[in-house]
Amino acid sequence: MSTLGWKIGKVAVLVVALGGLYALAVAKQLEREDIRQSPVVLTPACAEKLAKYGLVAGATYQSPYLLKHTGMAVATTGYTEDDVRAIQRGCNIIDDTQGRQAQSVAEERWNATRFIRGSHVSCNHCHQGVGDKQDAEGNRLLGSLSLGASWVMADMYDRFTGLLLPFELRQMQCYINSSNGYKPNIADDLIRDVTAYTRFLSAALGLQIGVSYEEQGVDEIPASHTGKQGDDYIRGEAIYRAKCQHCHGAQGHGIEVNGHLIGPAVAGPNSWNMQSRNYFYYVATILPGFICRNMPLGAENTLTNQECRDIAYFISNLPRPAGDKQGPLVALQQQALMRIMPPLLRLTDAAMERKHPEPRQAPAAAR
Amino acid sequence: MRGLATLQRYREDLSRDWPQTSGNLMVGLTLALVTLPQAVAFSVTLAGVPPHFGIYAAIWGVLFCAMLNPSRVFHGGPNTAMSATIGVTLLPVAPPFGAEYMGYALTLGLLCGLIQMMFYVVRPLGRMLDLVSEPVINGMICGIGLFLIFKSLTTFGGLPINTEVEWPLWIAWQSFLAVLEIGNLHAIQIGLVTLVTCVIVQQVPRMRNWAILVGIAAGTLYSEYLHYALGAQVSLIEKIGNLSSIGLVMPSLPLFTQEAMPDIIAILPGAVTLALLGLFQTVAAMRRMNRKAGGFTDSRKAIFSDATSNCLLPFLSSLPTCASFNRMWLVHRLGSHSRLAIVSSALWLLLLVLFLAPLIAAMPMPAMAAIIMLLGANMINWEDIKPHFKDRREAVVFVASFLSVLFLDLFGAVIVGSVLAIAYSKWEQAHPNISLNGNVLKIRGNLYYGSLPVIEAMYHRAIARDDSVVIDFSECFYIDQEGIRWLAAAKAAQKVRLEDRRHSDDRRAIERRAAADGKRRTGRRSARNDRRKRSEF
Repeated sequence: MSTLGWKIGKVAVLVVALGGLYALAVAKQLEREDIRQSPVVLTPACAEKLAKYGLVAGATYQSPYLLKHTGMAVATTGYTEDDVRAIQRGCNIIDDTQGRQAQSVAEERWNATRFIRGSHVSCNHCHQGVGDKQDAEGNRLLGSLSLGASWVMADMYDRFTGLLLPFELRQMQCYINSSNGYKPNIADDLIRDVTAYTRFLSAALGLQIGVSYEEQGVDEIPASHTGKQGDDYIRGEAIYRAKCQHCHGAQGHGIEVNGHLIGPAVAGPNSWNMQSRNYFYYVATILPGFICRNMPLGAENTLTNQECRDIAYFISNLPRPAGDKQGPLVALQQQALMRIMPPLLRLTDAAMERKHPEPRQAPAAAR
Repeated sequence: MRGLATLQRYREDLSRDWPQTSGNLMVGLTLALVTLPQAVAFSVTLAGVPPHFGIYAAIWGVLFCAMLNPSRVFHGGPNTAMSATIGVTLLPVAPPFGAEYMGYALTLGLLCGLIQMMFYVVRPLGRMLDLVSEPVINGMICGIGLFLIFKSLTTFGGLPINTEVEWPLWIAWQSFLAVLEIGNLHAIQIGLVTLVTCVIVQQVPRMRNWAILVGIAAGTLYSEYLHYALGAQVSLIEKIGNLSSIGLVMPSLPLFTQEAMPDIIAILPGAVTLALLGLFQTVAAMRRMNRKAGGFTDSRKAIFSDATSNCLLPFLSSLPTCASFNRMWLVHRLGSHSRLAIVSSALWLLLLVLFLAPLIAAMPMPAMAAIIMLLGANMINWEDIKPHFKDRREAVVFVASFLSVLFLDLFGAVIVGSVLAIAYSKWEQAHPNISLNGNVLKIRGNLYYGSLPVIEAMYHRAIARDDSVVIDFSECFYIDQEGIRWLAAAKAAQKVRLEDRRHSDDRRAIERRAAADGKRRTGRRSARNDRRKRSEF
């Protein structure tokens, strides 16, 4: 009798526990459904971008951008209210992945921070102009990593591994490597809304499916496109100190003032990891291309190819997190370097300053 | 002659197991039904090959192992860790599911078989595998059990599986949250129905062998009900799918072309890992489960059976095979200790796939995931773990290998656990029991390079105090070359007398006294008659 009671008790506990979890799941899903149905508070950049592209619910959609640039009035299948909200949320995620401008990251950004280590990375840092960087005339820019152009090549073969990567998996690579984080489930709203936004971008820009547009990626800078002086750490450091340091910090750890991000980290714990293709020792041509086309903000295309390679070489030599494939030893080493080096460097810098109070003025004074 | 002996053994096995034939067939059917979802899941989601690879491994791999391996609880077939290793190794070489990829998968399997054959041919290599101790194995079992639960979470919630190599615990947590937040509620319902039915049926002693079958049946029925009530568009349940293209045998050839050579060389380290993983699991599982079943099988036979099977399987389009902890656990729990059950599981599976493909196709994946979770939970058994916590060292080894499965991987767990276990035993040996009575220095334990410093410290203290010292090493059971050299040097110092009472009159006196005590002690003593100790002096 007691064994029977024991068994019934055991099963009852299990059933209650599983039932509780099921109830929790139902509650969580209802909560998600609520968020999907509620109106979206757009970030300023998104409000401007989506207004410019005339995103409203309706039976057909007509792109103002296309009308202005080609003179053609092309009507495509329109968007439902649900679609519009998904596109708006997607735009918000691209513009402000960390939810710095949101009331609640969980509700407005689908918990995006859960999948990102560090507090700096936002999609917008690489995919500038909320994934659609244009000049004053509205021309799409070379080397801007345009998301609309990315969607029309949605499932593409990876250049480096030869694997067929669905669009969602390409997004996951961003989460794993560029934000040094974890990938969301492929069915997560976080992925779906960003996909919705990129699809909308390609429709608004009138891009053709299957066409490889140049602005999808970065025009890469191999060593052969330079004066062939070799990539130089010292030169790179000098240029970095002169042109990058005041936003990205002396150690490349980024600058944050009162919770406001001045410049994101390009090295250190908040940066991309060693498995990212922005890492010079993995792919040596992409980061220089990105720097030449997109940096410094407001003065793009002012650096020479050689300078871009030097800067890329320099910041890739600063310690940064290891990726999945580097193994635990490299990961430990990098973590140690990231923690130990900055205070040591600050110490030596302070010592140098005491010794030579104004090193830059010294040669002038001698002269 | 040997073949005749084998035949004779088969006949004996058969005549012994014949009376329980129907029971064994039943166990075989259950095993087949449990293996099927694992085979499909492992090949598709872990190894990146079509489902028939796993199914053939579950048919031919199990059959070969059952024929070659005399253990009565051994169940081969596809394996989680091995499938995952295949996927990870081949990911950089070719796109999954392609013809080339499958060719490489077969090549990898063959290389693994050949490497395992080396472990059979070179005896000491095979013996090395025995250095994996029981706490290590139990730690691994618990780790794998937890791992199986984590791994099936997403399938349980009707979500796509995360295949990337990431920190498994984090993946588990993410998957759990994903199942709660975006899981398919219909899939979760099917999984829960299966799980609860299984657990309830398990509580009835007479129905225990049927629990998994009944569970899957309930899950399938519920999924069919959902299908008809709501339609596939709404319920969105993933099922095993069409297996009708699978025949009796599907011959295949590993890829060994000139162009493929660089890639084949690149996957060699993966092949070594695969071979070791398979053998470690086989040897560990055999030892563990044979002990549970009250038997013993030489691990060399298991190595031979694994190596031979893995050399043959790549020609039958199949994944490599090794022991499966969870299925062997099931064989044991179903109370069947017979190779008949295991052979019949392979044949059942073949029949099922050949004739009942449409029925199998209707089985929902969430139900399969629920079964795998249940198996995982059953592998974590407090009764088996408890003894390890009585001794601190065992507890440390157990916890270390358990955590290593979760934080590193299976291979890491074996290495960490074994290194700890070996280190502990070496530490033990390096601290012999030394006593100083008057000027007699008595050493009980090992006299070798590790323990010499401890002994030397005591010796020098003694020699500083007294003029002469007697070193009594009659209770040393191992002295290495360094120890002998040290003893010789100590003897040369003139102040030292070496005492090994076994060679003196004392020894005879002891033996006479022991003989008077009774046969129990003398029997042991004379039987052990330390050959090694005498040879050294």
